[in-house]
Amino acid sequence: MRAFRATLTLLAVLGLVSAAAVAEAPAIGTAAPDFQLTTLDGKPFSLASAAKENKAVVLMWISTQCPYSNAYNAQMKDMANAYASKGVLFVGINSNKTEDLVKAVAHAKKNGHTFPILKDPSNKVADLYDAQRTPEVFVIDSTGKLRYHGRITENHEDASSSPDLKNALDALLSGRTVEKTVTKAFGCTIKRA
Amino acid sequence: MHDQAGVNRRPGARRTAAALLAAAVLGSGGLWGAPPSRLAGELDAGGLLQTISREKGRVVLVNFWATWCVPCREEFPLLTRLEKKHRSAGLSVLGVSTDFQKEKAAVEKFLAEQKPSFRNYRKKSGGDDQKFIEAVDSSWGGELPFSVLYDRAGRKVRVYSGELEIAAVEKQIVQLLGARATGGR
Repeated sequence: MRAFRATLTLLAVLGLVSAAAVAEAPAIGTAAPDFQLTTLDGKPFSLASAAKENKAVVLMWISTQCPYSNAYNAQMKDMANAYASKGVLFVGINSNKTEDLVKAVAHAKKNGHTFPILKDPSNKVADLYDAQRTPEVFVIDSTGKLRYHGRITENHEDASSSPDLKNALDALLSGRTVEKTVTKAFGCTIKRA
Repeated sequence: MHDQAGVNRRPGARRTAAALLAAAVLGSGGLWGAPPSRLAGELDAGGLLQTISREKGRVVLVNFWATWCVPCREEFPLLTRLEKKHRSAGLSVLGVSTDFQKEKAAVEKFLAEQKPSFRNYRKKSGGDDQKFIEAVDSSWGGELPFSVLYDRAGRKVRVYSGELEIAAVEKQIVQLLGARATGGR
């Protein structure tokens, strides 16, 4: 099954099958599917390049409208700033068909989100990762492997609750084993095309 | 002039004051002018399971909603209609708002407008989301509306992600309500 999924992932990366064919989230420890998208300010983004240039990349599915996602706006900004100096790149991805580029740009500006935000037209990248909710995060190390998938904190309403994403990043940066590698993200459904 | 508050010299004055106080309480809906909460309480994972368990012997439809969720608002009156129609046959509908603590006033306003015939709770703030998810259903992740149907024995029969197709749900509820009459499940 794992070999089958790896093959599918490879084919998807090569563009030989549609991203939607990979219906399962990539497994922890396996290669995170590469993709290219454009940032809100029009710059090209490649996951493979970003992973090579940083100690870790945090892919963070976000929404402009979802209250669960918006509850983390300040924390996303603070974490992105705090971890930038440690070599971690936070990347927001908006895959909601109901939220266009204009809304995404306005939302980023309003919330001081200066980290790269990607618009994912037709939710191809969301399909590639089987991302279902906002907020939902994936941590990828410098070798391109997935090391954490799930929520930001234990409780969506309490930013000070158990910081699962922070714990995963701190473990990764200090060379320790990430203890909790998969958690369940609590959020709004990604509105797919 | 020199009377202290609550000390009335004349016998009729005490009755008048009591009547005025009662009228004020009834008129405002509660002491100190604050209307009573329309929420039956706040539930964590354990509280949710206990609340469902207390309904054993009845068919239970638990509906998760929030004031900001448009489909939730749309289906809410339909739930009242459903509950009223099948209450005497043994249906209980329980609503659980996942609105944040800071949105509690919006929840009260919504319930005051909707006047649901069924009890509503709010998901208690704090705690581990994953525990609450497991108490609801492992397939859930916070998306709304989300509903869970239980039979009279308290067994989970079905979960509904998204807006309910009321006719289909009602058909299933009627089947479950009839199960006892035909010897139970």
